[in-house]
Amino acid sequence: MKALLEVRNATRSFAGLVAVDSVSFTLAPGEILGLIGPNGAGKTTLISLISGTQAPSAGEILFQGESINHMPAFRRARLGIGRTFQIMRPFPGLSVLDNVAVGALFGRGGGQPKLAVAREHARECLEFVGLGKIIEKRADELGGPDRKRLELAKALAMQPQVLLCDEVMAGLNHAEIDEVIDVIRKVRDRGISILVTEHVIKAIKSLSDRLLVLHHGEKIAEGTPDAVLADPVVIEAYLGKKRA
Amino acid sequence: MKTWKIGLVLAALAVLAGVPWYGSDVLVQFGINALLLAVLAQGWNIIGGYTGYASFGNSVFYGLGGYGVAIAMVQWQLPFAVGMGFGVVLAVVFAVLLGIPVLRLKGHYFAIATLALSQVMTAIVSNVGIAGQNIGLVLPPLNNDPLFYELSLGLLTIATLTIWGMTRSRFGFGLIAIRENEEGAAVMGVNTTLYKVMAFALSGIFSALAGGIHAYWVTFLDPASAFDISLNVKMIIMAVFGGPGTVLGPIVGALTLSTISEFLSSEVTSIAGLFFGLVIVVAVVLMPRGLADMLRRMRKMGWGYFIENIRAHRL
Repeated sequence: MKALLEVRNATRSFAGLVAVDSVSFTLAPGEILGLIGPNGAGKTTLISLISGTQAPSAGEILFQGESINHMPAFRRARLGIGRTFQIMRPFPGLSVLDNVAVGALFGRGGGQPKLAVAREHARECLEFVGLGKIIEKRADELGGPDRKRLELAKALAMQPQVLLCDEVMAGLNHAEIDEVIDVIRKVRDRGISILVTEHVIKAIKSLSDRLLVLHHGEKIAEGTPDAVLADPVVIEAYLGKKRA
Repeated sequence: MKTWKIGLVLAALAVLAGVPWYGSDVLVQFGINALLLAVLAQGWNIIGGYTGYASFGNSVFYGLGGYGVAIAMVQWQLPFAVGMGFGVVLAVVFAVLLGIPVLRLKGHYFAIATLALSQVMTAIVSNVGIAGQNIGLVLPPLNNDPLFYELSLGLLTIATLTIWGMTRSRFGFGLIAIRENEEGAAVMGVNTTLYKVMAFALSGIFSALAGGIHAYWVTFLDPASAFDISLNVKMIIMAVFGGPGTVLGPIVGALTLSTISEFLSSEVTSIAGLFFGLVIVVAVVLMPRGLADMLRRMRKMGWGYFIENIRAHRL
């Protein structure tokens, strides 16, 4: 299958610390790729390189076969790359509905210019993630789990082709994780490719088609979830040498 | 908006528009000043209130608008309307040329950089021959205060309608998204640089028009009064007092504070400034998010609203 998103030798260093070290991978249309690794492995940085909030020090990022290296973040969003933030970034003073409406007003292809239509679309996205009942609340009144859902709804309202989910499950309990997994699967059923980062292995194992493991910024493994999680190199990275 | 609200606004507009017919000359003159300040507060509201960039450079736009009118009328003998257009062009050029670098700065850094702009402009204009250097320009007098009053009211109405339209448009949502979280806005597809510069320019257009009316009204313009930084402080105080990022807040703030200030300076002449300062301090402590926020939340919380704000200040 032709890759929708391709990352070639992406590298990002911060004053000597190499956060992402020559990482390459591809994401196929409709695929769910799990990106795992211990804290500080470079998962969020890699997502920022793809979404354009940080520029790579070296390497190349291609979307539908074209380099998007020099494209500012808003253009990538209009191409169809949506992301959520691990540290949630709602627009605190806006209502939940209007937070999501921003995604519909802008987003892929430049978005929907009519506010009423955008709000209608936003309402659907909020129903989809299970926030349909609290659309009038202000975003900063939401608790943690609902904020995670709001992040998802905002990104979905952009009608992305690729969705980058940065730790959408962190801090949730088992029931909530199951709900989010369910939502992500439904998103994929709409034909959207998904890159999802997580450091809780169990949650991501059942969800992903493939797994990619980062450790100290380097890719140490890639493949099907079962094969990757049985890989001694991966076990060592997570649990230390003795247990391996 | 609810019907009674629209009715209330229209009634207020009618009362204001009628002032030259039933008010005294002094009231009309006070009105011109107050309305122009309200326009400036609305102009600041676009960049400061909605976009979240606290500009101290809006008095530059005001000065450029004044000089646009003065240069066109005095040096080129052109009509007032052409001068207003020239002032707007100057303001937009300034907003684009300086907005692009300066709007990359955030928070205090943006405020300080724009603060420097008005100082620099004073120095530059003092050395420009066509602008009358530091002596200034004397405009042809037009003794028609009711006209200036209605012009100012008309400008304020247009500015307010523009902002009202903005709040229900994609552009307005983009600006608010930038204010609330700039990086979050960018990854959702908002062209933040373009939107910020457009907001700066729009804010500049209204400030320049106010400056143009004022210059023709007082028939005199020099660099010190055109680029007066205290005017910029005033418009910020008025917008913030009324409610930044709301459609009507800055107008209410400007008219209320103008009235209080006028009343104090006629009643307690020598220490009026002190009282005015006190009003500001009390307002900041008791209602830091402006009158609009107070009216909205007082209904729910009652007097507890003020107590909560005092607590938030850790007083």
